[in-house]
Amino acid sequence: MGNSAKQRVLLAPLDPVHDIGLKIMKRHLEANGHETFMLPPDYKAEEIIQKAIDEKVGTILISRTLGYGVAELLAGFVDLADAAGLRKNVRIAIGGMAIRPELAAELGFDAGFGPGTNPDEVLAFVEGREYVPDLSKESKQKKDISAGYSYRYKHERIGQLLDKIVDFIFDWAADKTSPGVIRAEIREKMLRAEAVFQAGKVSEHEYKKALAELQQAYLEHSDETVRKFFSEGIIPAKTRPLSGSELASLEEYVRETESRMSIKRVQHIGENPTVFIQYGTGCPFMDIAHIKMGESWGADGVVHFDPSWGARTEGFLSGYLTHEEDGSVITPENLRQIKDSLHSSTLWQVRAHRGLNTPETVLLAGAIGADLTKINIAYGAMGAGTDPARMCIDGIAAIKYAAKYNLPFDVVTNEELAGVPAFKAFAGMLVVARLARRLGAKPILQPLFCYSPEMMITGGMEDNYVDFNAAKIMALRKIIDAPMWPGAPIGFLTQTEDRVQSSMTTGLHAALASSLGVDAISIASSDEAYSGGPIVAASRVDTLQAVTEAFRFFGHTKIQPTAKAERHAGEIIAGIQKVLEQIVEKGCFVQAMYDGILGAPEDGAYPGRVGRGRVITL
Amino acid sequence: MAETAMAQVIDAIDIETFVVCSSEAEGKKIILQIMQEMGLKDTDIVFLQYTGPGVRVRARGYIHRPGSHYGWLQGNKRVG
Repeated sequence: MGNSAKQRVLLAPLDPVHDIGLKIMKRHLEANGHETFMLPPDYKAEEIIQKAIDEKVGTILISRTLGYGVAELLAGFVDLADAAGLRKNVRIAIGGMAIRPELAAELGFDAGFGPGTNPDEVLAFVEGREYVPDLSKESKQKKDISAGYSYRYKHERIGQLLDKIVDFIFDWAADKTSPGVIRAEIREKMLRAEAVFQAGKVSEHEYKKALAELQQAYLEHSDETVRKFFSEGIIPAKTRPLSGSELASLEEYVRETESRMSIKRVQHIGENPTVFIQYGTGCPFMDIAHIKMGESWGADGVVHFDPSWGARTEGFLSGYLTHEEDGSVITPENLRQIKDSLHSSTLWQVRAHRGLNTPETVLLAGAIGADLTKINIAYGAMGAGTDPARMCIDGIAAIKYAAKYNLPFDVVTNEELAGVPAFKAFAGMLVVARLARRLGAKPILQPLFCYSPEMMITGGMEDNYVDFNAAKIMALRKIIDAPMWPGAPIGFLTQTEDRVQSSMTTGLHAALASSLGVDAISIASSDEAYSGGPIVAASRVDTLQAVTEAFRFFGHTKIQPTAKAERHAGEIIAGIQKVLEQIVEKGCFVQAMYDGILGAPEDGAYPGRVGRGRVITL
Repeated sequence: MAETAMAQVIDAIDIETFVVCSSEAEGKKIILQIMQEMGLKDTDIVFLQYTGPGVRVRARGYIHRPGSHYGWLQGNKRVG
């Protein structure tokens, strides 16, 4: 049993200079009701022991920085304390840089406290009780990134233009659907049938019969790859099913890992943004290992990354599947497995911004318990290869599911990486955000924090990476009161294969994002620029550490952009307005995408071809 | 069951060092030979920068690639 009654403690720096740790402890012990006696640095061992005897202390806390010959000095102190008969009633601990509990024990001390020691650990030693970390202090709550925004347009003209364009979209889409939308409707029925069966309202036979009929209908709107998977059991290349024993091992791994895991915080102050990491190793097991590692190193959220071939295929496979290349296959089982492995505080985003399965992806994400998704019709069509008409029809359905399941989503603008100027990408983003609001959803603006290709060409970022990225936030804030989540990942095209450089640039972009007061960021690993193999877990730790350090370094300090940022912001706003006026003049958002108004071939943007001709007019 | 300590490596081992050499090509050759001598087979050079004194290098040996059978998961047994 411990003794929290008032203790008498002698604090002595057995060191010529260093006594900061002891000063911190003196304050902490006194705050907890104990009496302390602090000696100045550089007292001899004999003097310290005499003081301990004179003051009748119960504990001596020694501090010392290790160096040549110091181990002998410390061992000598313990011997002297023994010879003076102090050890019967007095416990002695040593603290300082390079001190470890094992070393302290070897030297004869009762305890040793190294760097990073929580003062409560020393308090527990003084009070003679076991130190039990207060895990409640480390607990995290999920944060609603979209909360507290009105989505009010501060730029009236842009707001009016967006509403006109959204009217065009609704008119154009009114009599259209697609295989992707139909499959999502069938999947909804499958999920309902499953719920009815689980509630015991139908027999297993009835459920299986209904499911088989729905599956047949689903396959009629799917690609051959999916049909062959279900009818002949043919699995796509570089993909394999996970075995039952592997699944059992995974569950044990997650349970064991969770039981000994503590959750770190990346944030230093409340204003630091929520931090997301992306996973998508190809294997749900490796994803889960990365997620557990990310959670323990402070990631607040994780982003599901699906393979590019999955986005080009009509329909989803099923079962627990692993994949040898980038991107983890979306199946209901894989998503459930990942969801079950998440810590209760971890935000989970499932991307649905491109490809032929976007409505079903959002539906599954919502039904399985994701917190966020990712949708952008313009980027999906102009930068990610999906046919604009198809992307628009599927995007509307995806947004409706996002609204139904209360999934806020970021409106990603990575077409900027192809060379599309930020103002064009932002015009598309704002159209989708307005569309989302009209459909009752919660969009989150996602300007890209990067070394922007348009600026590479014009030399606009030769001096620094701050001004243009800051200008994006400034411009968007002048247009609308909406949440912002720069990505994705921040620092794109500034990272190299050198992990120190890569981590550093991620940390600096995170600091800039925080200084600008954004709500969230997505960060890369330090392997971002390495393309020779899978991203490794250790490289995710690198950037989480870098961001933590950047937040610690800057605290409430703001990064001051130069006057150029304001000028860039004005140019971006003017550019957005011009693009929106061109769309209004065109009278059709989808046609505007085909015609290059939101990104032209000379910008490096081409209307996507995946799913072309697969819009169904009713 | 994980029978070797190596099986507990989640995915890969990175070797970071500075190799004394007279060219980038020589630096590459040396680090790959080092990886081989260390028994790492599935190797790649993640980062290598040559300056006059030699190369700053980070080489990687994959123990488990995504989709393979993970030693750290099988039976969840720990070594040591």
